[in-house]
Amino acid sequence: MDKLNLTLTAVKNLRSSVRQCFEQLADGTDGEGVEESRNKFVHDFQDRFGAINSQLREVEQLINGLQVPATAYHLGNTTFLAQETSQDRQALYPQLVNSYKWIDKVHDHSFLAFNNLNQNTLRRSYNYCSQKRQRLPFTSFNNDPDHIDKLLSEINHPPHTSYKVLRPFGSNAVAIVSISNVLKAAIVFKGVLIEWVTIKGYDEPLDHDDLWAESRYEVFRKVQEHAHSAMLHFFSPTLPDLAVKSYVTWLNSHVKLFLEPCKRCGKYIANGLPPTWRDLRTLEAFHEECRNS
Amino acid sequence: MGVTVLQPYPMPEGKSGAYIIDHLGKRLLSLGATHAGQFLVDCETFISTPQHGTPTRAVHVLHNSECPASTFSIIDNGTGKQVALVADNIFDLLMLKMTNTFTSKKQTKIESRGARFEYGDFVIKLGSVTMMEHFKGVLVEIEYKPCITLSYCWEMIREMLQGFLSINVGKEYPSYFTTQTIMNAMGQQQLHKQNDIYEPMDTIKQYLEQFTNYRKHVQMHSAMGGTVGPVMMNTVVGMGRP
Repeated sequence: MDKLNLTLTAVKNLRSSVRQCFEQLADGTDGEGVEESRNKFVHDFQDRFGAINSQLREVEQLINGLQVPATAYHLGNTTFLAQETSQDRQALYPQLVNSYKWIDKVHDHSFLAFNNLNQNTLRRSYNYCSQKRQRLPFTSFNNDPDHIDKLLSEINHPPHTSYKVLRPFGSNAVAIVSISNVLKAAIVFKGVLIEWVTIKGYDEPLDHDDLWAESRYEVFRKVQEHAHSAMLHFFSPTLPDLAVKSYVTWLNSHVKLFLEPCKRCGKYIANGLPPTWRDLRTLEAFHEECRNS
Repeated sequence: MGVTVLQPYPMPEGKSGAYIIDHLGKRLLSLGATHAGQFLVDCETFISTPQHGTPTRAVHVLHNSECPASTFSIIDNGTGKQVALVADNIFDLLMLKMTNTFTSKKQTKIESRGARFEYGDFVIKLGSVTMMEHFKGVLVEIEYKPCITLSYCWEMIREMLQGFLSINVGKEYPSYFTTQTIMNAMGQQQLHKQNDIYEPMDTIKQYLEQFTNYRKHVQMHSAMGGTVGPVMMNTVVGMGRP
């Protein structure tokens, strides 16, 4: 390292001597006492030139004395400096300003949100959850086969509905629900949470080998779509038992799938389909088109 | 196999069968239905040769293009009791061998054929009924595939029928499905056909009921629309049963 420093200093000296030499050449003579000043000028130049020569030799010697490093120096991010040096072309500055603004905004907003959530007396999310967070997810994912059997047997189902519980995937349960002579549904559980629902017609096969195939009838494909959105609506990791019970109650309302006219338009058929949507709270029948208009 | 209902279309005066079928087909297409092939249901009746002491029995042999591998037969002993049988297509050849006991009444061979439409899960067939190439009437068949019991979906089917036929369809179940009281070994029993699970045979029995009605009215309608039959035949030629 010392040698390198010496060499760098020598290069620096050489550069400054060369610079001085050129400065002197550029200045020229002062123009009075012609002969004398010219001699002095030439003499000075020869001196400086000699110094440059000696310094050049010195630099060469030092460079020869330097050892070639075994590996390349690790320069970190500074290596990239060599690739593009022009600041204007990198366009870093506007991006930097933008991201700074964003961080500022995020900070402001999160501060406001934090204050609001803390003032909220309902406390649905923040503090309430943080206390229970360690415990609750485990109860919903907890896979206790007896518990699910008990839960499904507890659901007071109308006489036209029958349940059959299978366990084709180890301990996770699949409930095959037959609702009257209207439809069959397979509810795939993960623990106590409902993971997937398949709806099929009463005359279609539905067994554990083939839980994911769609019904061949348009109406049951539509019902399955609605069943999935209802599944997300009733999803509640904090009260999984209640979620399953309300979901099954909702599903049971499909017993009158073909029998009930739409609550809004009073018709049975719209676009070739009966009222496939059941209101999540009141269980009333609606066409898909009628439910929000 | 869903619930199927047959609805005879009352023929307005002065309109030909081809016009009616064309008109109804256009209505279905504008409703959003799609044309999905052709269909054919035919019926041939064999009468047992009279023997001493036994009443004559009729065997109706029917085919439905919806169930192309099957031959349906219904034995009718004349007292209202019917025995139904579903067999493979080779049953037709068996009937040919039984000419000693059963003779075919060729002149009563009757069939309903025409276009088939699909609308959602509905299958709608606009059939023109012809007997001996004489046009008899228009028979509309509507099937709702996802449902297997008529009592569940009769209101839907009724709304659909009224919608595109623009005729009034009664609120009560069609005559074939109405409650029947029969006597058997268990005593008097009521049959609630509208609550039973629907079978292909039920379609065939409905067709037989309608065909029998048309046969009864042979004289009444023979003068009307007689030329339509062969015209319709040409349009669907080559579609016959396999």
